[in-house]
Amino acid sequence: MIWQFDLLILALGVLCALASISLKDLLSAAIVFGAYSFLMCLLWTEMGAVDVAFTEAAVGAGVSTVFFLAAVYHTNRAVKPRRRGRLLHKLVGLVTAACIGLLLLSATADFPTWADPNSPASVYLSPFYITETIPQTAVPNIVTAVLADFRGFDTMFETSVIFVAGLAVLAILGSYGRRQRDYEPSPTGQDAAHQSSIVQTACRVFVPFMQLFALYVVAHGHHSPGGGFQGGVILGASFILVAISYDLRVMQRRLRERLAMLFAGLGVLIYAGIGALCLVLGANFLDYSILHTILPATSPIMARSHGMLGVEIGVAFTVMAIMVIIYVNVASHGKSDRGL
Amino acid sequence: MIDIIVMILFGIGLFSFFSTTVGILRFPDFYSRMHAAGKGDVFSSVVMLLGLVIYHFHHPSLDGVLVAIKILMISLFIFLASPTATHAIISAGFNSGVVPWAKPKPEEDKQ
Repeated sequence: MIWQFDLLILALGVLCALASISLKDLLSAAIVFGAYSFLMCLLWTEMGAVDVAFTEAAVGAGVSTVFFLAAVYHTNRAVKPRRRGRLLHKLVGLVTAACIGLLLLSATADFPTWADPNSPASVYLSPFYITETIPQTAVPNIVTAVLADFRGFDTMFETSVIFVAGLAVLAILGSYGRRQRDYEPSPTGQDAAHQSSIVQTACRVFVPFMQLFALYVVAHGHHSPGGGFQGGVILGASFILVAISYDLRVMQRRLRERLAMLFAGLGVLIYAGIGALCLVLGANFLDYSILHTILPATSPIMARSHGMLGVEIGVAFTVMAIMVIIYVNVASHGKSDRGL
Repeated sequence: MIDIIVMILFGIGLFSFFSTTVGILRFPDFYSRMHAAGKGDVFSSVVMLLGLVIYHFHHPSLDGVLVAIKILMISLFIFLASPTATHAIISAGFNSGVVPWAKPKPEEDKQ
């Protein structure tokens, strides 16, 4: 925590943010936005929030930049010329923005002051997590314990939100189930033969290690930074890497869209199923400690740890599958025939 | 002793990062800039990461060695991934017809 360094990164981040909204070329804007995400990731690492930084590096700087690039590739690179609004419209907009801004500003008066030791969060909430996580759950990584156990409901619905995002992309772009299109080679020659063998070989070397690392991140999520979201994104990114360096068809031979959709549903099912299993065994929904009655050789405390691993695996399934589905549909305009 | 080696490695890394930056800013066209970026970036990051690896042998313990091995793996990754990315960018530029810079002819130079 070196404040000069923090300040430098923050200033660079603000510069990148301003640059990415003022650039006229959307491709450059997407790349600058990726740089912004990476700076935010550095800042969070600096502040000790390694789990958040990990997610930001995987999602913000990695996969979402690819999504943006894919979307820009299939739409228009240039920003639409701005229409001249009428004075009345501008005035209405200004007044609305000013009123809402004032309302929000007046609401901030009710917040506790910055780092207030008497705010509810620092009086009992954070101390509870810090002191009780290891005795109650035997999980050294507090972030994972809070995410997957203490606030398991939130994470379950976050997983559902990702699932719904994938469904929305399919509903807007996808031709899933409607008709099977034949593969047509792209007119610009964007198929497997187009990429150089150097890139393909390097990706072939990387992908197994990426997937192994992703599994490690998922499985080791309660002992070190990481977890289902990060591991799932890295797993999805490995498939996206195959799709970029070869082409979409090679990737889909490994993971068909239908199978990916099945995985996405399976992930949410695993999460909710573990919750429902706790309910069936006579405890509250997502109260993993009851699982010790069916898991061999566990105490109620270790059962919570194992339950977290279970739901993290569910999260990883959903996130991986949805990342692949979004990429396939955005990159190929929903035809899932050829990629970028 | 370890400190001196680490400092030398970091010095080399910093110097080559500096020359990379100068190269990116000063070189005339896309290809030579990518040349500076690709070569200098990989070399200086790997050298600096090696410096970090050696720094971890200050207090030899299992944790330190594990961290050192992880840093070595990162530098191996950079060593493989960064040149590949540079190659991909340059071939993309070549395929979309970016014209390499050529030295202006001497007759034109005199005019």
